[in-house]
Amino acid sequence: MKIKLMMALAAAICVTTSVYSQGIVGKLKQKASNAAEKALDKKIDKKTGNVGNNNQSGQEVNDQPANSSNRPSNKGGGGLVSTPPDVMANLSDADASYKSGSYGEARYAVQQAMLGVELEIGQKVLKSLPENVSGLQKEDSRDQVTSTGWGWAGLTIQREYNKDDQQLRATVANNSAWMSSVNMYLANTGYAQQTNGEQSWKQVKVKNHKAVIEYDESTGYKLSVPLGQSSLIVWEGVNFASEQDMMNAANAFDIDGIKLMLGEQ
Amino acid sequence: MRRTLILFIFALSASCVFGQDFSKSLSDAKSSYQSGNLDDARFAMQQMLNDLDIAIGKEVMKLLPSKMEQHAVNATNDNVTANTGFTGVLIHRDYGTEDKMVKIDIMGNSPLVGSLNAILSMPFIGNSGDGTQKQVKVQGYKGILQKSTDTETNKTEYTLQIPLNSSLLTLVVPDSNEGEVMKMVSTIPVGDIAKMVQ
Repeated sequence: MKIKLMMALAAAICVTTSVYSQGIVGKLKQKASNAAEKALDKKIDKKTGNVGNNNQSGQEVNDQPANSSNRPSNKGGGGLVSTPPDVMANLSDADASYKSGSYGEARYAVQQAMLGVELEIGQKVLKSLPENVSGLQKEDSRDQVTSTGWGWAGLTIQREYNKDDQQLRATVANNSAWMSSVNMYLANTGYAQQTNGEQSWKQVKVKNHKAVIEYDESTGYKLSVPLGQSSLIVWEGVNFASEQDMMNAANAFDIDGIKLMLGEQ
Repeated sequence: MRRTLILFIFALSASCVFGQDFSKSLSDAKSSYQSGNLDDARFAMQQMLNDLDIAIGKEVMKLLPSKMEQHAVNATNDNVTANTGFTGVLIHRDYGTEDKMVKIDIMGNSPLVGSLNAILSMPFIGNSGDGTQKQVKVQGYKGILQKSTDTETNKTEYTLQIPLNSSLLTLVVPDSNEGEVMKMVSTIPVGDIAKMVQ
């Protein structure tokens, strides 16, 4: 029964991915259709002698997409309040809800409190990351701390560094249920994998921590270091000249400090 | 009478212990947070979530029927497990004997369940052409009814799944027919369970 349930959930995840992909494909089809319409309109104009002028009287060329509406575009707004949840207030709410028997409300309050704590942890880790790495400067606007408060997806912290066409993205994932499978993968893989004589990934060490480095011609380098039981750091490097350059960039990070902040052993 | 009294005292002490666990975790969370120990505060909050899931699971168990048609509940198999990982809280009850055991499983507060709602919004996926799967409605909630036939015994087993936002109720009835399954599920207070697990 449980196997059937897990298979159903896995199928549901595939379906969701498929629906998302279908959405993208639908948009691509719409764009292609619009382009085809424009080309057809041009041909009609040529045939009827309206070359080079699509705005003659009596003939309107509709340049708007087929699905345009009269909906106004948003020009401004107050955005969303970005204050993290008040941890102590939510813990007090949880206590009150629990005592009154509203377990659902108590659960929600605890989740909000957890969200607040995770965001604080995330901000601490983000502040500890270097300002620049191997000549690449951090992009302030791309700094990100994300927590769902679920307790399973955990916390992710992300920072990007750029210089010309070179980019390094550092992602720290913490307290995620995925980590146990990542650790198993890293512990059980062989030393390396070769395809047609080219090395696609291998085990390495970053500041004495076991890691796996991968390389792909289209996406560049990817270096993953598991930390403790439930955390992971991943660096993705685009247009790094060599494996050594990538390793040097990763060495700029205080991995032990990050591990301590995340409560890992 | 004496046995009932002993069971009542045991249940009461269990609930007191549970209450102390939650209160202790809450106290730990507050003191850890105030002293700046964020990781310990988070761990204590995860314990609180586990405690609450168990409490919610027990309340849901009280809502489940004590029998399914002629099949009596197997009280010793009642189970509530809390896990703040993928599956949230798991609640299990079964009825009848091994020849025909009707099972109810509820997965509460699981982030994975949201994906199942996508199936319900797509009739061409929810309803299969060969009649082994179709969408049904139970007390206003959409669900998916699946049928599987054992080729050796020729017996048909039905599985009814009703997603309730981030929770999933599953009813499995072996050696049955659609009418019986729908009759059984009508005895489960789906709406009340939905309110409790959300």
